[in-house]
Amino acid sequence: MFSTKASLTKMRGAGYSGVRWLVWSFVFTGLMFAASSVVAGEDDDDITDYTVEDGKVDQATFDGYEAYTRVCQSCHGPDGLGSSFAPSLMDISQSRTLGEFAATVANGQEIQPGQVMPSFADDEYVMNNVNNIYRYLTARAEGDLGRGRPDVIGEEQGDDKNKEEEESDNGSEE
Amino acid sequence: MLREFSYAIAAIGLAVSAQAHANENLLELQENPEYWSTQLGNYQGNRFSKLDQINRDNVDELSAQWQFSTGVLRGHEGGPLYVGDGKLYIHTPFPNKVFALDLEDNGRVVWSYEPDQDSRVIPVMCCDTVNRGLAYADGRLFIGQADNTLVALDSEDGEVLWEAENGDHTKGESNTMSPLVVGDKVIMGISGGEFGVRGHLTAYNVETGEREWRAYSNGPDEDVKLDPEETLMMGEPVGEEDLGETTWPDEEWERGGGAPWGWVTYDPELDLIYYGTGNPGTWNPDQRTVDGEPADNKWAITVFARDPDTGEAKWVYQKVPFDEWDYDGVNENQLIDVEIDGEQRKGLAIIDRTGFGFLLDRENGELLVAEKFAEETNWADSYDMETGRPNVNEEYSTWRQGVDVNTTDICPTAMGAKNMQPSAYSPETGLIYAGINRICMDYEPYEVDYTAGQPYVGATLNMKPAPLQDENGMEGRMGSFIAWDPVKGEKVWEVDERFAVWSGALATAGDLAFYGTLEGHLKAVDIETGEELWSFKTPSGIIGNVNTFQHEGKQYIAVLSGVGGWAGIGLAAGLEDPEEGLGAVGAFSALEDYTELGGVLTVFTLPDA
Ligand code: HEC
Repeated sequence: MFSTKASLTKMRGAGYSGVRWLVWSFVFTGLMFAASSVVAGEDDDDITDYTVEDGKVDQATFDGYEAYTRVCQSCHGPDGLGSSFAPSLMDISQSRTLGEFAATVANGQEIQPGQVMPSFADDEYVMNNVNNIYRYLTARAEGDLGRGRPDVIGEEQGDDKNKEEEESDNGSEE
Repeated sequence: MLREFSYAIAAIGLAVSAQAHANENLLELQENPEYWSTQLGNYQGNRFSKLDQINRDNVDELSAQWQFSTGVLRGHEGGPLYVGDGKLYIHTPFPNKVFALDLEDNGRVVWSYEPDQDSRVIPVMCCDTVNRGLAYADGRLFIGQADNTLVALDSEDGEVLWEAENGDHTKGESNTMSPLVVGDKVIMGISGGEFGVRGHLTAYNVETGEREWRAYSNGPDEDVKLDPEETLMMGEPVGEEDLGETTWPDEEWERGGGAPWGWVTYDPELDLIYYGTGNPGTWNPDQRTVDGEPADNKWAITVFARDPDTGEAKWVYQKVPFDEWDYDGVNENQLIDVEIDGEQRKGLAIIDRTGFGFLLDRENGELLVAEKFAEETNWADSYDMETGRPNVNEEYSTWRQGVDVNTTDICPTAMGAKNMQPSAYSPETGLIYAGINRICMDYEPYEVDYTAGQPYVGATLNMKPAPLQDENGMEGRMGSFIAWDPVKGEKVWEVDERFAVWSGALATAGDLAFYGTLEGHLKAVDIETGEELWSFKTPSGIIGNVNTFQHEGKQYIAVLSGVGGWAGIGLAAGLEDPEEGLGAVGAFSALEDYTELGGVLTVFTLPDA
């Protein structure tokens, strides 16, 4: 997972602009990787063509939500909104194409001192879901999808335990 | 019967070892109310000061004397130490700088230290690159650097005296906790509960840094340093062998977490150290069952009492067997002497992650009190005082609800009703003062594979503000500052705050309690009522601890601000309002509307009369 990190770390000594330049060259290498293996024939429009109906989403967008929540939330905060530790990814689809996004996820990034975005190149689950995460974040950015865990269109809402019983459970003790 | 028996043993122990193993220098410093020589103020972890120059009558005149920027942006936990040499010693999160600041010259830098650390450790720090501070003894400062190097510095000039390797970041290990010096040993735990580490507590020689013993939180008894015939559990010998192995499926104990990353306290008379262990490995309880049934996953979420010389466990108490919520058991064990039913007892009090306030007998680990201090707590209804086990509420059992099922509205959240923010105890009032979190969660376990150095979490979380009980409290609050009676198991007063109160508390003989807020306010309240008497807005949110000391006849209050930690990760963007329903855009107060990053030390004192 940290295959590109040794060289990234060394760059900390270089001047700020030097760091940025070097990181970009990584991004471009990764971009080629991304273009060949991740996006594979689909263009960005298909990938970001999410569906949201009454707060419910298509399966790919849900998978993106799930992958984001499992892997990225611990640094980037809930629902793509950012945290004190890592930047918001809400507007990432405006600043980066899918290819650039996939490259950052694959290669990691260390522009600001002490801020490390790890490389996920060796994480099959993440790399398989890069498109879905981008799709989910795009739906968030466009304002079509709110916060929290969306349901999947056409699926029963049966997976959420306790939702309805709220009132009777809380507040009864003590 | 048994109780009397163990008392007799304790009495003998007392006569033989009284104060023989405390670090004499550190004990002397602690006994002088002018100094603040350990992170928790004393070995007992009380965070109480006998100083009363700053008091209820004049605190409104308290003013900032000088400030010092640490130059580091990440969350600043821990606090400054003062040992009477005119210098204030502070530390920072990664890259773990250390500064000695001249108290008589508005914080001029006497010396500074900055280690060269591999930044690859950063992604294995689950909850920001925090560090809970320095330890001091005999002219040496100790810090556990993020990259697992434990360092001893000369407090005169910051020169490195020795370094010891405490862990391996490629396995997900890192250092965040503050070491504690006991006798000729430096005691140090480990972080990495979200990376499937195998938790351990280690003692290093104070002079040389050589490793003296290491006790694991799981695995065979030999590794845990537990003797099933001798080590007590609920006042009786553990009995069964190798529970740290048999209460896990297959080899799961090898990645069984139980990382002790919180605080260590010490009773010089009983000569025992006390600490708690973190969550058991993956957050997916299903992967920790034995033959499809819940298993205790010992010794995760357990209070250990150990002999500091040998590491041998004297007693254990597992607060949460088979964790299903990530309720790390690392919160500080406050050593307090209390009267129960007319009897004087050596108590150990915990404002726990679980939302329960515990009181134990610190000689034998017997459970005396377990009551909710955060009334929204619903994962368990109560504790069985015979067995010491929680009566878990099935509805909120994430294992019963199942893998890939989102169990909703569990209180408290994985952050705990209280996290690492250390509480204070005033022997004058007999009460504990603590900043707490009022946040609940949805928790969805999923199957996760283990890869060394990769997150081993296996559950997703969605956090939300705790609902008010009977409409008591401030609408939209996510935290409170409370006064807790550890013997009665009752809250005495409570002040609500917009955000989780993530700073360490301070209680003083000036009838004051202090705490900081995530927005960045340092507050002084009346210790009797909680009434706010004074506040000052520091430049950033406070997750550090408020400390006090006296130099040249002047009492000072000092605190590190600098928002971050898990609080900063979870609350920066605000939480969803559960009332607004699924997918609502409206959020509960967002931290980012109030504060930005940046570490600053602020030193306060009263104006010259
Ligand atoms: C261990 C913490 C961590 C995890 C986990 C993490 N990130 Fe990051 N990420 C960061 C940090 C820190 C930065 C900022 C790095 C910098 O300053 O260059 C960042 C930056 C980024 C950026 C560039 C943002 C920008 O505006 O420059 C993208 C895109 C990104 N992360 C996507 C993701 C995705 C997608 C995931 C989950 C698969 C993820 N990250 C998981 C810490 C993390």
